[in-house]
Amino acid sequence: MIFSSPYFLFLYFPIVLLLYYISPLKWRNLVLLVVNLIFYGWGEPVYVVIMFLSIAIDYSHGRIVTRCKAKGNDRGARAAVASSVVFNLLLLGFFKYWNFIAGSLAAIGAGFLPVIEKLPLPGGASIPFTLPIGISFYTFQTMSYTIDVYRGDARCQKNIVTFGTFVTLFPQLIAGPIIKYKDLDEQLEHRDHSFEKFASGVQRFTIGACKKVLLANALGPLWDVYLATPGAQLTTLGAWLGIVAFSLQLYFDFSGYSDMAIGLGRMLGFEFLENFNYPYLSKSASEFWRRWHISLGSWFREYLYFPLGGSRVKPARMVFNLLIVWAATGIWHGASWNFLIWGLYWFVWIGLEKLFLGKWLDKAPAWLTHIYGVVIAIVGWAIFAVEDFSAMGPYLAAMFGFGAGALDTDFLYYLRNYLPILVIAIVAATPLAAHTWKKLPERARQAAFPVLMLAGLVFTTAYLVDGTYNPFLYFRF
Amino acid sequence: MSKKYSIFITVLFCLFIFGFGIALIVSPSRDFSEQENRYLSQFKAPTLSTLRTGEFMEGFEDYVTDQFPLRDGWIRLKALSERALGKQENNSVYFGTDGQTLFAHFTIISRDELAQRVGFVNKLADNVDVPVYFSLVPDKSWAVNLLPDNAPNIDDGSTIEGAMELCGEGVTFIDLRFLLGDWCGNADPRGNNSFYRTDHHWTTMGAYRGYTMLMEGIGLQGTDFGVSYTQVSDSFYGTTYSASGADWIKPDSIYTMIPEGGTRGNITVTRYPEGEPIESTMYHPEKLEVKDKYAYFLGGNQPLCIIKNPDAVGGKLLVIRDSYSDSLAPFLAEEFQEVHLFDLRYNNMSLKQYVADNGIDQVLVLYSANNFNTDKNLFKLGL
Repeated sequence: MIFSSPYFLFLYFPIVLLLYYISPLKWRNLVLLVVNLIFYGWGEPVYVVIMFLSIAIDYSHGRIVTRCKAKGNDRGARAAVASSVVFNLLLLGFFKYWNFIAGSLAAIGAGFLPVIEKLPLPGGASIPFTLPIGISFYTFQTMSYTIDVYRGDARCQKNIVTFGTFVTLFPQLIAGPIIKYKDLDEQLEHRDHSFEKFASGVQRFTIGACKKVLLANALGPLWDVYLATPGAQLTTLGAWLGIVAFSLQLYFDFSGYSDMAIGLGRMLGFEFLENFNYPYLSKSASEFWRRWHISLGSWFREYLYFPLGGSRVKPARMVFNLLIVWAATGIWHGASWNFLIWGLYWFVWIGLEKLFLGKWLDKAPAWLTHIYGVVIAIVGWAIFAVEDFSAMGPYLAAMFGFGAGALDTDFLYYLRNYLPILVIAIVAATPLAAHTWKKLPERARQAAFPVLMLAGLVFTTAYLVDGTYNPFLYFRF
Repeated sequence: MSKKYSIFITVLFCLFIFGFGIALIVSPSRDFSEQENRYLSQFKAPTLSTLRTGEFMEGFEDYVTDQFPLRDGWIRLKALSERALGKQENNSVYFGTDGQTLFAHFTIISRDELAQRVGFVNKLADNVDVPVYFSLVPDKSWAVNLLPDNAPNIDDGSTIEGAMELCGEGVTFIDLRFLLGDWCGNADPRGNNSFYRTDHHWTTMGAYRGYTMLMEGIGLQGTDFGVSYTQVSDSFYGTTYSASGADWIKPDSIYTMIPEGGTRGNITVTRYPEGEPIESTMYHPEKLEVKDKYAYFLGGNQPLCIIKNPDAVGGKLLVIRDSYSDSLAPFLAEEFQEVHLFDLRYNNMSLKQYVADNGIDQVLVLYSANNFNTDKNLFKLGL
């Protein structure tokens, strides 16, 4: 299921709220577990088995780690952690990377792994071998649990229903934020439900829905036009218009989803960590990654970069550590070479900043560093978004002036048609609206809020009901 | 936020989502959307197998969207807000600069693909011993100069020019553009009433102009039917309108120039909806009561339709048709003893065989340029 759809908003979610709030407190996790499984099974009726498997394996590994530690058996505890990590990585590796690896090997003449097209089911039927929705997100969440239990950062959860609720929690199940068990532990057992929290959840959800449906979906078709334009016909301004549209689309798509997740979470009494902080304000590559998909960056820092030694090592080792982390970040985004290159692209910029560029940027004027931060992000998105290598080169070439001229008449049409929404989106990508809102007197806010909320919901509904274009970009990951 | 205020917000939100959710469940389902001119998805109870494949879920999502309370109103709101945002199109339909004409997107294909498609026409000419004429109706976006500035996805004339060049020796191309267009500096406003404002088809006037050019191309003296029109409908909303959501547009009118049965009253029409002949008529007034009023002409798409006129002298004409031919047929019927309207989309008979079996004297391949660029059945021309 996706949040920005009429069946979710007007049927599934009201039913969830109803069941949740009429249940006594101690049953609420069970109610959540059941509706979570329906939420996941809706889009992946067969792959819901993976959920059960994930719950069973990670739950039991947490218990084993705790028992070994209690007995002073550190080797046993480590083995259990390793086994859990291996299981989660195998799960992710099989579903996400098998065909990529098999295909890549075959391309260099080592085709000993078969490409899988269908998965056989018991009883003779089979289903297409597709990526289970959200697998990149929930395998990372459950992996962190066993590690944290071992490290003593998280308690072991003995109640399998409570644990299952964590693994499957629907607001953040399929596109993050990637929540670590230790951040949710307390809330799983005792969370406050109040009207204040619910109302702030409503506010956050509405903002997220508007970002996704009114901004991201509106910009998507513009990017699609330029993605589909043959390289030989791309002009410089056209290529920039297209990739700027994609940069904004992706931001509003993904941060809108995170806002909706945080909002839904609050309506159910949870408080999730933030996932975005105006990334296009960044003045450097390092800052961008502290503002973009914060939960992913923090996961990689905590469970990969720091264990490798982080930055407190010799420069050569640090560069190696960065290389590993950014290659992993890149390939996490998709089983395709362009994502690996995109990860390495960030490795180069962040490495340079850590080595010497950062010191220069500190001294440079703010306008220059702003341009630097935004431009490297946007150029990065071109590598990210144009998966086909034969198209990526011409696209980048066109962006840097080696295309079919500076502009064409199509560009004039699209600019004319998308200028209002582009201006709105660019302003919405800055904290301007939030600052203005905070400066308003309390009474003005109280009067304006219900009007804005209803307007947001009404327009969102209109665009969903007549919506031919409603993809979720981060679904593939 | 104070507690009281938070309760107010909570209640407001819940009223919105529960309200529409309940309205969706209790309101009766609509079968057909007049506004969108299509059948709407209905609720289908799940089975074990549709649950496992996800078919039920997909169907259910469509059901919710299609049966959503006040659906037409939401569609209108979206179209209005797109226009307010300065958009010159909605759902791939351009809003004409006169505020009343709608244009569907036109598909331009590569020269190679066009060559392949024209190749099927050439193949047909190789297969049969009778003259083969080929003509394409230009798109409204070529003929009518009311498009937003620089609009892409329009007919720039390259399809017809390319087709003309690619025609083989056995094929005579008939260019209809002269009487239909006012584009490319041609100040003649004829294009404006050659096409419906809310539909992609040509009007009866457009079809008559097309007929004049076709007769000239075939080498026949066409009949001058003057300018006597009969209005049969003043409330036609076409398919372009249905997609656009632009319900501020006024309806089109439908006219006829030839009376039922032809000017001499001897014309008979036989439909072959499933291979068996059924007596029919040139016009179908019952279609004027439904949304798709263009089906007034010959009753809509069908595999084969034969129109006979014992008084005519022009021999037997086989038309490889799309829907544009339906409003043209009354004019053709005045000139030919038999007009066979053959639709490749629904008819798999061999054309070579058909020409021989029915004593056809000439073949006309007539498509709208957009249909010619997108139809998947053209290969059957060469079978």
